[in-house]
Amino acid sequence: MATGFATKRLSKELAKIHGSLPPGITLFSAEGFQEWFLDIKVLDANPLYMNQTYRLKFKFSPSYPIEPPEVTFVTATDRPIPIHPHIYSNGIICLDLLGQQGWSPVQNVESVCMSLQSMLTGNIKNERPEGDEYFVAHNRRRPRDIDFYYHDNTV
Amino acid sequence: MKAYYFLAQAQIALRQSAAAVLSAKEAHRLCVEEVHKGGKGASSIGPITELVLRCKKEDWEARETERLQRQTGLANELEVLLWKEREARARGLEDKAAMGLLNEDMLEAEMMKLEDEFQQKANDVRKMAVAAGIAGEEAKKRVVPDWCLDDITFSVMVDPVVTRTGQSYDRSSIMEHLKRSKTDPLTREPLRMEDLRPNLALKEACAGFLAENGWAVDW
Repeated sequence: MATGFATKRLSKELAKIHGSLPPGITLFSAEGFQEWFLDIKVLDANPLYMNQTYRLKFKFSPSYPIEPPEVTFVTATDRPIPIHPHIYSNGIICLDLLGQQGWSPVQNVESVCMSLQSMLTGNIKNERPEGDEYFVAHNRRRPRDIDFYYHDNTV
Repeated sequence: MKAYYFLAQAQIALRQSAAAVLSAKEAHRLCVEEVHKGGKGASSIGPITELVLRCKKEDWEARETERLQRQTGLANELEVLLWKEREARARGLEDKAAMGLLNEDMLEAEMMKLEDEFQQKANDVRKMAVAAGIAGEEAKKRVVPDWCLDDITFSVMVDPVVTRTGQSYDRSSIMEHLKRSKTDPLTREPLRMEDLRPNLALKEACAGFLAENGWAVDW
């Protein structure tokens, strides 16, 4: 598709984001249409995430939203990586809707943030994914190129 | 198809926007034929859809400018007519004075009244023209209704096609999605290009909306 496809759609998403966002989601920065940062909070009293804010980095390719954005948690002051069996300690998230197979172009930045919010809300396990240390030490691939194994639907 | 594509671009450059819309639509029609035949022209659906939108916007802008010019023209004409009427009445009063029907003081008083009356009328005409302009601007709240937007690009649809779920997408964007994944964007059920059906009523409605709101192309 012609250039400007992603830019046009992202500028419309940004206009909407500046207008209003669901509770617990705030825009931290959106300079240009390649990288945006948003902060999310879990709204219920889940002791794993209570009173904590997490920062998400969205990276968009020129073929967004046909291709999924690359979404990871990043650290900053007061912004740790949430503990979760599907979130590696380097911030890489294993969520089917962010993968090549699970993504759909009707998803958007806001809906991804909400999915991640509910992924945290629903979690009770205070643990990292299996093989976290090895993965963090050895993975050099980009998150979207990793074939996560989405077999465990219990978390 | 290619010829009509370039023709439409040339017509935009020459400010023949109405003709450009027709050419772009013809290119789009030929491209959809290619899509059904599985021809290689099918890959041009994206740029052609964009061109149709751009032509429609240019055409709307041309018509908008013309309408505004007509409106200001009308207000100016009314004012000229008012002043002619005033001149005629003033001459009538002077004639009466010449015939001795009005004395000097009465003539002056009548003239003042006449002047006030027409100043007032000219003011009213100007105010009405301004009010009409404002009303026109307000009527166009510049909000694009969700029903005419494609859920993938968030643009106004040119050629909406509907899937089993009842959701419509623009042909160009759902085709781009199907190239990557042959699934329904909402349900992830298998979806093939042949399963798409044109949504003619929605197509008319989107075209109608754009004809009145060409700005929505750039929204």
